[in-house]
Amino acid sequence: MKIQHKIYLSNAVHILLIVLIGIFALQNLNEILTKFRFTVIAEGLNANFLEMRLAEKNYFLYGDDTALDNIRGRINQTSDTLLQVRRDITRAVGAEKYSELQDNLHVYTQLIESISTARHRDAAAQKKLREAGQKLKTFSENITTLESDRIEAIIVRSKNILLYSFWAVVLFAFLFSNLIVRNIGKSLRKVVDLTRAISKGNYPKIEEKPSNDEMGAVISAISVMADELHNREKELVQSKRLASIGILVAGVAHELNNPLNNISMLAQTYAEVYDGLGKEDRIGFMERVDEEVERLRVIIHNLLDYAKPKEQHLAKATTNQVIQKILALVQNMLDISNIKIKLVLAEDLPYIYIDEHQIQQVLVNMATNAIQAMDKGGELYIGSRYLPDNDEIEIEIGDKGKGIAPEFLDHIFDPFFTTKGDSGTGLGLWVSYGIIKNHQGNIRVTSQIGIGTTFIITLPSCKKLKRCTDDEA
Amino acid sequence: MTKHSIMFIDDEKIVGDMAKLSFEQDGYEVETFLDGESALERLQEKRFDVVVTDMKMKGIDGLEVLRTVKKLYPGIKVIMITAFANLDVAIEALRDDVHDFFPKPVKIKELKASVKRALGEA
Repeated sequence: MKIQHKIYLSNAVHILLIVLIGIFALQNLNEILTKFRFTVIAEGLNANFLEMRLAEKNYFLYGDDTALDNIRGRINQTSDTLLQVRRDITRAVGAEKYSELQDNLHVYTQLIESISTARHRDAAAQKKLREAGQKLKTFSENITTLESDRIEAIIVRSKNILLYSFWAVVLFAFLFSNLIVRNIGKSLRKVVDLTRAISKGNYPKIEEKPSNDEMGAVISAISVMADELHNREKELVQSKRLASIGILVAGVAHELNNPLNNISMLAQTYAEVYDGLGKEDRIGFMERVDEEVERLRVIIHNLLDYAKPKEQHLAKATTNQVIQKILALVQNMLDISNIKIKLVLAEDLPYIYIDEHQIQQVLVNMATNAIQAMDKGGELYIGSRYLPDNDEIEIEIGDKGKGIAPEFLDHIFDPFFTTKGDSGTGLGLWVSYGIIKNHQGNIRVTSQIGIGTTFIITLPSCKKLKRCTDDEA
Repeated sequence: MTKHSIMFIDDEKIVGDMAKLSFEQDGYEVETFLDGESALERLQEKRFDVVVTDMKMKGIDGLEVLRTVKKLYPGIKVIMITAFANLDVAIEALRDDVHDFFPKPVKIKELKASVKRALGEA
């Protein structure tokens, strides 16, 4: 369900709850109003009966006939009222009580009439009339009390229900908004994780089907973006590879052209000056030709060696052990060049999954470069550490040598690029770069003239490559 | 008649050696240099009639030699040799008034013809 729909639904439920509460409150108010009106009528009846009783007392005390007329008037009035509120009374106390009231009124009326006709005020009749009057009054008093109690009960009930509904609405609002916020929060965290991973150059595949809401749409869009970025990066890598092939070809052409030109010039000059040459000179010419051919042979051999796709023998390895092994290999060079070594190796590094021979080749290459950069002695720094954010191991190889000029830094990984003159083939760093890339790692370089150069190699952990289980890592 | 003098600059020793043999046989006076620095130093002392230089060298390269020569002796013709013909470099060299441009491997006869043209003999 879309977030939009969830919010609509939540609002609808809220409105429904409020309408229900309103209807309930309205009904209660109506009931209270009806009961209140009835109470007023009942009070009226009560007052009538009270007046009747007073008039009755006056009649007996003073024999005043106007009192009897007053009573008759009150009786008529009461009869009318009773007819009017018959339904109300029936509802409040039942039909039985209503007819009982009418009977009582009837008895009272008859008693009044008989007293009026007989004009006797004997004690027995008086007593009967008083009893009948008292019954009427008690009845109306009862009704009033009963209805008052009921009104109070309704008010209490309404109050309670309003209070409960209030808490219910608050609770519902809290739970629902919490649910939505948590939902959105979860998705947003996912978005944050995804974009973080993408910015680090990882392109996580989103396995689960994205939810059918707005956040799902955002995650799908990011997933599409990641795929596109990944494709573009692949294209870029491919074009860089092509560019590097171009550089390689140019380099090869240049490397081959020089000895070829030499042979060509030797041959041309040989023919030209042949007559003036002694036997030794002629042999000298041919030896120089052979030397140039040998030069070509070495170049071609090296190229083939580097170009040959070597089979990788990948296995679990320990970074620090690999470093220790290459140290043994370069120790002699360090001693000769009067270079001290500074090792800062982190303990408990996770395993890496590498072709140890190839990685050793890279590290020896880096170390050799570093040593050659410090022809006046110095310190070779080798460090290892774990980068938990990327689950990678970082190896740092630094020298305090000459440094590399900024304009050369961009080219040091190009094939045939060398700052070492004739002593370098210009292939070492290019090959190292290829090896590290094949290991899904990376090489960076920082350098400052006169201060030194540092190569930073990162390699994914064995676990990151899904080659080791948790226990092994 | 004084001999015409030619300066050859190439970090490949054979180029200089062969050029010296071949051109001296034709009656030129030849001096060879393995890098731009020593060549430019020599140019301060001596004016040559033609300078033949390799393009790509460590340190001072062919283009820099060309510019310096043109500044010191605007009349001297400079011939460029390159192991890898690069259009950008060729255009730059032409802009700096290079006399001729040869890719390696060089045909010595063509080079000689070019030197002659540079000396106004052909």
